[in-house]
Amino acid sequence: MDIFSDLVMGLTVAVSPINIVYLLIGAMVGMIVGVIPGFGPSAGLAILLPVTFGMDPIGAIMMLAAIYYGAMYGGTITSILLNTPGESATVASTFDGFPLAKNGRAGPALVMQAAASFVGGTVGVILITVLAPLFAQVSRSFGPPEYFLLALMGMLTLIVMIGAHWKLGVISALIGFALGTVGVDLETGQGRYTFGSAELIGGIYFIPIAIGLFGLGELFYAFYSGLHRTGTGTIVQYDKEERFWPTAQDWISTRMTMVRGSILGFVVGVIPGAGATIASLMAYSTERSLSKNRDNFGKGEMAGLVAPETANNAASSGAMIPLLTLGIPGSASTAVLLAAFLLWGLRPGPLFMEQNPELAWGLIASMYLGNMALLAISIFAIPLFVQIIKVPYRVLGPCIVVICALGTFSVHASFVETYLMFAAGIVGFFMRLYGFSPAALVLALVLGPLAEEALRQTLTISRGSFMIFVERTPSLWIIGITIALLLLLPMLGRVGNTSAGVAEKAGS
Amino acid sequence: MRIAFFVMLLAGGIFYSYIAFVDLDFMTRTGRLGPGFFPRLIGATAIVMTLWALVDELRARNATDGALRQWADVAVLVALSLGYAVLLRLFGGFAATIVFLAVTLSVLNRGQYLKNGLIAVLVPVLLYLLLDRLLNANMPPALITLPL
Repeated sequence: MDIFSDLVMGLTVAVSPINIVYLLIGAMVGMIVGVIPGFGPSAGLAILLPVTFGMDPIGAIMMLAAIYYGAMYGGTITSILLNTPGESATVASTFDGFPLAKNGRAGPALVMQAAASFVGGTVGVILITVLAPLFAQVSRSFGPPEYFLLALMGMLTLIVMIGAHWKLGVISALIGFALGTVGVDLETGQGRYTFGSAELIGGIYFIPIAIGLFGLGELFYAFYSGLHRTGTGTIVQYDKEERFWPTAQDWISTRMTMVRGSILGFVVGVIPGAGATIASLMAYSTERSLSKNRDNFGKGEMAGLVAPETANNAASSGAMIPLLTLGIPGSASTAVLLAAFLLWGLRPGPLFMEQNPELAWGLIASMYLGNMALLAISIFAIPLFVQIIKVPYRVLGPCIVVICALGTFSVHASFVETYLMFAAGIVGFFMRLYGFSPAALVLALVLGPLAEEALRQTLTISRGSFMIFVERTPSLWIIGITIALLLLLPMLGRVGNTSAGVAEKAGS
Repeated sequence: MRIAFFVMLLAGGIFYSYIAFVDLDFMTRTGRLGPGFFPRLIGATAIVMTLWALVDELRARNATDGALRQWADVAVLVALSLGYAVLLRLFGGFAATIVFLAVTLSVLNRGQYLKNGLIAVLVPVLLYLLLDRLLNANMPPALITLPL
């Protein structure tokens, strides 16, 4: 009953006219970000974060969250019509989405992906509504040792998921941690790596680094990959009238797929580091192994499109749980969202929902509305997105540089931060090119100061003894879960890679 | 380029660690962990990991850098972007953006004079309206005023 009344309160906050406008803008922008190949939600959030500074905090957070989950909807449109995923979480949607389009079923595929995304997203929000207060309740017993272990768990799981290039993932994280140590040490007041610069006393700001790495870095890499020369490729045409809507058989045959994909996606999304990409690949693989028509997978099976779509949207909702209740982001996108919360002076964590009920429940309620809006947008605005896909990268690129630069400057009116953003862009390009992980760097930059503070507090409490980590029950639980995840996640990654390989073979 | 990038990271790691070990205290006077504790841990680990990755790279030596054309395209965009960073300081956000977009689009999107011209003017106008007028955010001010 408490949850219900909290949700009603959240709805009253979310349903103000101006917040609805912000929500719709966020959903639309998220879909556009998802449609542009090479740009995921992290880049979209980082680039557009400065634009929200003039807004009211609730509207701004609702808009940013809508960009985040809206990108999952948009990314699939290119997967189906172009065989090019808009972002990594929609790679699995190309396996059957594009064959369906080639078989003349692009319309039903587009509608079913929108419906699947809606179901996944909505089930995810329902599970957030029920589970977030429980998570917050449990995490109230956490102290500095647990927060250090959670930060460590977030980093380790992300690095493990990198797979063969794990060493480069560790180096990326260490660069992020190193950048996080710049500035005045809050405990002693001693300057660290400031080199006498007044600009560095407060530390290296997160936003320029995130915009540089995800915005400019990805753009430079897209140019290196030749995206500006190749253009968009051939967009599969779809029937806008007679054969646009799915058949009754499409709905009936995929109803359980939606349920399985939603639950699996949500659970994977809650795990720090795993994220929507792994969730979608796992859902595809699971569905293929359970299906009676497994030979049709990779050749245009509707369940092969619906499974990853429900999973990646449910995963993006699941990732909000550790962010809201523990203050620990599990991915680069949620790290940018955390930065947005911090910018507004809000500190997500165990007491967040209790101390900021209007904002927390307003955000959750807005996710219900956002998913409804996205369902409508992704069905009825398809022609608009097809036009956006056609804008060549060579025109889009310079505009992105401008938005990154002016957006960074607008935050603190600082030229130093703007130059830092350009430097981060160049470093981000090389990191992307040579297999490093910009996501690990950004996550470490956010988690680093938190981890350092927690570790120093822990060792002060324990008088220098590391045994405190195994003497406390919550710490022991976190260590146990971390070990289990470290053993389990590489297997999940292999399942995903295998299913990708199988689908590619079937498709070819 | 690949090896050079690793060597640059190693140099950065060594410099970071040097400051951590020389300038920052490991413990405070009260016996608590000092400001150098975490940086020393990070720096030492970074050196070990970068050396390990560098040795792997030297052993493999099979990873090739991309074609000259790929590098040329990125180099042009990076150079133009850095030029934009300088222009921002000199001529302010609005004028610098018009110049940057006009030059960059004329290089990347050749022959589309009308379209390029429109984008070079409309994008800065829209961003000015959004940031400066609607959101009351900061646009980079100019050191030198252009007659625009």
